Amino acid sequence: MSLLLLTSALFCLGLYGVLTRHDLVALLASVEVMLGAGTIQLAAFSTTLIATGTSAASAASGQGYTLAILVLAAAEAAIGLALLVVLVRSGRTRTDQIEEVRG
Amino acid sequence: MTAQLTWLALAAVTLAGAAGVISTREIMRLVIALGTFLLGVAGFFAFYALPFLAVAQVFVYVGGVLVLFLFAIMAHKPDDEGRRLLSARFDAGVAVTCAGLFILLIVTLQPLAGLATLAPVVSSGPEAAAAVLLGPQLPLFELLGALLLAALVAGIAIAGKGDDE
Repeated sequence: MSLLLLTSALFCLGLYGVLTRHDLVALLASVEVMLGAGTIQLAAFSTTLIATGTSAASAASGQGYTLAILVLAAAEAAIGLALLVVLVRSGRTRTDQIEEVRG
Repeated sequence: MTAQLTWLALAAVTLAGAAGVISTREIMRLVIALGTFLLGVAGFFAFYALPFLAVAQVFVYVGGVLVLFLFAIMAHKPDDEGRRLLSARFDAGVAVTCAGLFILLIVTLQPLAGLATLAPVVSSGPEAAAAVLLGPQLPLFELLGALLLAALVAGIAIAGKGDDE
């Protein structure tokens, strides 16, 4: 139960940051917090679930899927920070300053 | 007892890092708070007997993504117009919504709580991870590699686009 409380709290803290922070760096960091909460939950359940017959193979599978989330988060951060560099050149780094899209 | 204390210490570190990320207005403090959070996550991986993931977390995030954040911050204009926490009505509404989601998550996931233990019941080293990643999960592993390469190329293309204009 304590793990659920922790990861749920971390996820909600990250969501609060995503919805309230207007700075792009802070917004990206908040997304990382949400993803981190998910990875803790996934990794922990892959090694601690006893009633479903957790084995070394299922723990290794959990590692694989957690690694997938890590890679997705790293790719998201790379693209997000590249977009940030472009927006900095145009003098806009707050989400409420980005009002137009192309196409 | 030691396991419980370790778990509580890791929880405190991750919660403090996450709280710092959403509350601080100074960009360098935000990066330090994010680094604290990510190191806490790596600590949890080590606690749950997943050393491969712990090392990957430190290398990829603390060593890679955080440095990327620092590079972006070098070109970043500090946000002096930031509102204070919970000063706007919108922020209070979001806080209530997040608290509601928190309660919903706890109620929904509660059946899983009884199935799990605090400490790991199995350990899974790098050999087991390699056997899975290069075995049944090989397509996923290859797809992730291709995705990272695509993200790298896209990042260079996006960031370098302004140089030509």
